[in-house]
Amino acid sequence: MPFNQKPQKFNAKINTVTIGSGDKTVSIGGNSTFPFYSFDAPTENTAKVGIEISDMGLEGMPESIKAFYGEAASMADIAKKAATVEGADFVVLSLEGGDPNGTNKSVEELLAVVKEVADAIDCPLVVEGCKNVEKDAELLPKVAEALQGRNVLLMSEKEENYKAIGAAAGLAYDQLVGAESAVDINLAKQLNVITTQLGVNAQKIVMNVGSAAVGYGYEYVVSTMDRIKAAALGQSDNMLQMPIITPVASETWGVKEASASEADMPEWGSVEERGIDMEIMTAAADLAAGSDAVILRHPESVKTISAMIKALA
Amino acid sequence: MALNGIQIFKLTPKKNCKECGCPTCMAFSMKVAQGAMKIEQCPHMSDEAIASLSEATAPPMKTIKIGTGAEEFTLGGETVLYRHEKTFVSKTRYAVALCTCMDDAAVDAKLAEIPKVDYDRIGERMYTELVYVNCDETADAAKFTALVEKAAGLGRTLVLGCTDPEIAKAALAVCKDSKPVLNGANASNYEAMNAVAAEAGVVLGVSGKDLNELYDTVAAIEKLGNKNLVLDVTGADLKETFANAVQVRRAALKDQDRTFGYPSIVNTVKIAKGDAHMQAALAALFTMKYGSIIVMEQMTYAEALPLYGLRQNVFTDPQKPMKVEPGIYPLNGADENSLVVTTVDFALTYFVVSGELERSGVPLNLVINDAGGLSVLTSWAAGKFSGNSISKFIIENVEPKVKCRRLLIPGKVAVLKGDLEAKLPGWEIIVGPREAVQLVKFLKDMQ
Amino acid sequence: MTLFETVFSGNDAVYGLTEQAIDNAISQYGADKAVSFPNTAYSLPCYYSVTGVKVGTLAELKEALGVVKTLMTREMKTHDVFMSGVATALCAEFIEVLKYIDGAQPYEEPCYGHLADAIIRELGVPLVTGDIPGVAVILGKAASPEEAAALVKSYQAQGILVTLVGDIIDQLAEAGMKTGANLRVIPLGKDVTSVIHVVSVALRAALIFGNVAPGDAGALMEYTMKRVPAFVNAFAPLNDVIVACGAGAIALGFPVITNQADVARVPKSLICQTDVSKWNATSLEARDIKIKITNVDIPVAFASAFEGEIIRRKDMQVEFDGSRVDCAELVQSCDASEIEDHKITVIGPEADEMELGSKNSIAYVVKVAGKKMQPDFEPVIERKFHNYINCIEGVYHTGQRDMQRIRISIDAFNAGFRIKHIGEVLYSQVKNEFDAVVDKCEVVIYTDPAECTRIRHEVAVPIFNKRDERLETLTDESVDVYYSCIMCQAFSPSHVCVVTPERLGLCGAVSWLDAKATNELDPAGPCQVITKERVIDENVGSYEDVDEAVAKFSRGALEHVTLYSIMQDPMTSCGCFECICGIEPFSNGVVIANREYSGMTPLGMTFPEMASMTGGGVQTPGFMGHGKHFIASKKFMKAEGGIERIVWMPKDLKEFIKDKLNASAKELYGIENFTDMIGDETVAEDPETLVAFLTEKGHPALGLDPMM
Repeated sequence: MPFNQKPQKFNAKINTVTIGSGDKTVSIGGNSTFPFYSFDAPTENTAKVGIEISDMGLEGMPESIKAFYGEAASMADIAKKAATVEGADFVVLSLEGGDPNGTNKSVEELLAVVKEVADAIDCPLVVEGCKNVEKDAELLPKVAEALQGRNVLLMSEKEENYKAIGAAAGLAYDQLVGAESAVDINLAKQLNVITTQLGVNAQKIVMNVGSAAVGYGYEYVVSTMDRIKAAALGQSDNMLQMPIITPVASETWGVKEASASEADMPEWGSVEERGIDMEIMTAAADLAAGSDAVILRHPESVKTISAMIKALA
Repeated sequence: MALNGIQIFKLTPKKNCKECGCPTCMAFSMKVAQGAMKIEQCPHMSDEAIASLSEATAPPMKTIKIGTGAEEFTLGGETVLYRHEKTFVSKTRYAVALCTCMDDAAVDAKLAEIPKVDYDRIGERMYTELVYVNCDETADAAKFTALVEKAAGLGRTLVLGCTDPEIAKAALAVCKDSKPVLNGANASNYEAMNAVAAEAGVVLGVSGKDLNELYDTVAAIEKLGNKNLVLDVTGADLKETFANAVQVRRAALKDQDRTFGYPSIVNTVKIAKGDAHMQAALAALFTMKYGSIIVMEQMTYAEALPLYGLRQNVFTDPQKPMKVEPGIYPLNGADENSLVVTTVDFALTYFVVSGELERSGVPLNLVINDAGGLSVLTSWAAGKFSGNSISKFIIENVEPKVKCRRLLIPGKVAVLKGDLEAKLPGWEIIVGPREAVQLVKFLKDMQ
Repeated sequence: MTLFETVFSGNDAVYGLTEQAIDNAISQYGADKAVSFPNTAYSLPCYYSVTGVKVGTLAELKEALGVVKTLMTREMKTHDVFMSGVATALCAEFIEVLKYIDGAQPYEEPCYGHLADAIIRELGVPLVTGDIPGVAVILGKAASPEEAAALVKSYQAQGILVTLVGDIIDQLAEAGMKTGANLRVIPLGKDVTSVIHVVSVALRAALIFGNVAPGDAGALMEYTMKRVPAFVNAFAPLNDVIVACGAGAIALGFPVITNQADVARVPKSLICQTDVSKWNATSLEARDIKIKITNVDIPVAFASAFEGEIIRRKDMQVEFDGSRVDCAELVQSCDASEIEDHKITVIGPEADEMELGSKNSIAYVVKVAGKKMQPDFEPVIERKFHNYINCIEGVYHTGQRDMQRIRISIDAFNAGFRIKHIGEVLYSQVKNEFDAVVDKCEVVIYTDPAECTRIRHEVAVPIFNKRDERLETLTDESVDVYYSCIMCQAFSPSHVCVVTPERLGLCGAVSWLDAKATNELDPAGPCQVITKERVIDENVGSYEDVDEAVAKFSRGALEHVTLYSIMQDPMTSCGCFECICGIEPFSNGVVIANREYSGMTPLGMTFPEMASMTGGGVQTPGFMGHGKHFIASKKFMKAEGGIERIVWMPKDLKEFIKDKLNASAKELYGIENFTDMIGDETVAEDPETLVAFLTEKGHPALGLDPMM
């Protein structure tokens, strides 16, 4: 008696969202199975990998990444080089330098970086705010305006500033909205509900449902994504059918496993290897839980995760 | 369908004899329903009742034990496909692979490398629990046995990868008392392999060229009376391996197909040989999706630190959050004159708060006491993070060791300030920010 | 003239002018001459959004005028007035576009005339976010430049975008006021037709931000009505043309406020307010605009960091103590007309007229009004006072109702803190936190002892009594809907609380009224309405609607829940329950344990053991988590016979609930002092001793049918 294979069929599917304009676009979502369950139904779009660069250039980046880009690189150089990394589907520009509690760059300064990067590359672009809700509310609408026609994804729309960012990105300047909530299915849904009530088309929303490095309360990330995918597919909950994008690098490179120097932790071995594996394993776990796209920093991580995705397709 | 406590209670003798160790039959029944006790532990249960209950309460997936003593591990016994549905019970175990195809120097290097990773993370020992010893096609019994003996010297539980019954028998002769796994039964050799495993009293690993063959082979071995199995789901490539791992587990738990109700082995060496980064990715992937034993070529700190962190998180019971041990944690080179900061013992809060505190670079003493493993507001609401509990801990444990008399409390419990001032004479109580991310700035401004 | 006649006559006049202007232009330039506004992708934005047709040449403009004519019906119905208003506006747009022929620049500093799409996208975002809470359109000439400047400044201070048409532009210049888009004061033009440029902004906003399809006039008007918070201020004298334009504004949902005394008034739409200094308040109320309060204007800090501060006697300037003298705190809902927003009155001595260290009376009444305000929300708002006042640096508050105690520290007093500032805090916090239901708020603080006595005994206490009565009469049968609560899903993914009047959330913190208020304040939030129309079984409390809601909010994890049974599909628990009841088979009853109780129960299980099997959103028949107050409810396990099943609970819990439980038992079964029959830890911690005790007391549960 052979094995009785029972595919898990769903009538619902995740929305397809296409980032970028012109010839070079990238589509995420669109699937009607749990992640990588291609034995249940054909895969519409494979998961995608973004490579993250920062307005701070190489300042504060791990040595291995500095070495990759070369010390003296301009933002345009960095962007161009990032776009050519094997396995990178899109470039992500983080505007972390805008954080009022950090470098506190002005909106004008950051806009100049945004334009420099956008002009340097023609691949799909994702822009992350500085995570300070007031500053992002001021900054991201300007970015949306500056990048009209590029169909970029603007991350960092939160419950506290959804009106400003949602209205600018989703309504005024016709970009894509990245709705960010804190590792809770209900908060994720609520943000989607209020963003669509603002008038933003649900098909133009991508969710960042929160992330963590593995080992750092990561169980909440797993369960949140598991439950969102189950609700989106099993319950046909259209307020949770937005594809999920997960910033991995910003969580993993700061934890001590990835950053403690070899001098401080001699028994731990190569700091570069630790950083790469922390990024790779977190990304692999995110994808297994439900991320339709992940954002990474190290070229080796990008290459490996992209190869894993292709091997599973 | 599992029975609930009330249904089980109806079958008990209702004597409250306490012989099972529970004060009442009701308490016993509820524990059985939860899976915390076995029905057989009641000495007065009728055979009839036990039979009907065992059938109803038998788990969809078997619990398999490997190894002995401190190196004994439990595999399988899962009841859900997603941790939020209840909890995962048996952690994934990792094996580093040795092979008869490796030269002596490579083997020695590997054996020297394995014990280096051994550390504690939130009360759990993290190390490579298993060693996978593979017998390649060209090796003979002597060579394999020699390698097995060498590997056994590490004291870790072994998984023998060997499809030749005679060689396997020879190797088991030197290691069977430590209860290794014999991974090597397939459609063509299962009868002989089953006999070898049964004779040595070890768990048998079964594989097949596809799921149908695996299914039939398992059914055939079960027919021979052996239900002490693990399933090697490794296929020709990653895609097939992942499909196998998921479908085997799903068939067992969702479709109640008990033929696939066994733990799994995923051998990343077979599908990503020589690619350490890919193996790292796959180790994470199969920790998430249904690998019971994962075989890799190496487990250095680079792999271990994230992987064990992931495993610890994924296998946390959602009902019982991870807790940090109470104590004083000096950060950034703090001494007895450094500021005292307190928060709850919920591991997530601790990690986030200690991470931000470390980022600030300010030397301080992070004081954690027992707050029930809950978040700040929840434990405060439950009365476990109160003026009483904090002041008691400070007076008993902190005052004898720390001279500083300034205490920073989380902004979310600003309401405790007055109470703490009253209960901790001589202390200055400072209300910190509501969110951990604001700590760096707060401490900077305080300087 | 009636309003109808005025509008029609104005409309006809403008139509005539437009027709003439177009004809003149055609004869001058030829019919093929291109017409357009600069920097817009929306053609003639008003005409395009109303009809969906783009106009590019004078010939097409002429054709469009024919379409406009069809709007000008004269049936003497409201609809005709509105459509004539719209027609007037469209004519104005045609006249204006003619000014731009051949790339002319008809407007010069400081006037803007037509506004580019880019400005709309830029202004649109703050409009959607509420950073620009409203748009004022001011027309005509004020009595003086000072009056003009004062009016514009009042809006500017609130962040409202001001557009100007007519002589007021010169008046502002005369008063020395700067204008410009960056200052949110935009002079459009001197001709009345230039008002179309702000209408054009509103309509393009609907296309860009509202995704309204051009030509879908219904959706267009709905969008401007609901989403564009504009209003018109028109100075007397009004002529027919202005009134006709006003009709167009009203058609879009924008009220018109004027000081022309003899204007025909239309409630909520055409309002006469002869006192121009009140235009700001009148306009905001008419357009339902709420101004966000960003800072609390008091001389000391206000932050949750001060919540736990305690003011000791030696540090105290004055105190108010409800346990010794007459005090009260009260929220009272009133009609909007009875309230002046942000008015704060102190009746009686201020803090500096009180002796150092003295004990005084205080009673504060916070009057609120709002379209969505309900008396049921009064206690919900009132309960926040403790938190608000405690967040003031150097001020301390405990208690509630007429038993509150407040202390003001010497430091706060020396920093200038006075009693009126309590009013400021209450005003700003109530307006901020409850902005969904509170439109206007006024605070009256009494410190005069006689007044305090009057307020306490004649106003507050009767209200408190009435509320208590309402709470007591509020039963599950007396309401139409229940509420879900999923606040705990973060850690208990499949748990859903069904909150009913007689069954508060199992955490004990969310009553039916709280859930109702939460739902009003945060409609997409954790508390949603559950209807109860399709009864399955009234006795156990099962409803198809409730089952559907539970299935939805638990995402399929739960399919059936009963409200009143612990045996059949009992309600699940998250883990934050105050109490757990569990079936005790030897006495046919239930044992209740509360979280604080650390000992053994006659079930052979402690509270944590019971909790481990009851939490996590799973149904465990025979066991159920609940709030303390639910114990005395007539609905407590009603399906199994109700509270007479209770055979044991910890002594402290029994004391806590004694009065209410005894009252319920008396009412339900005629049993006196029921709690005396219930065991506790001093009587028994095992079933045998408990049964012996119950037998001795003649507990009714022993005679009931077994529960299983």
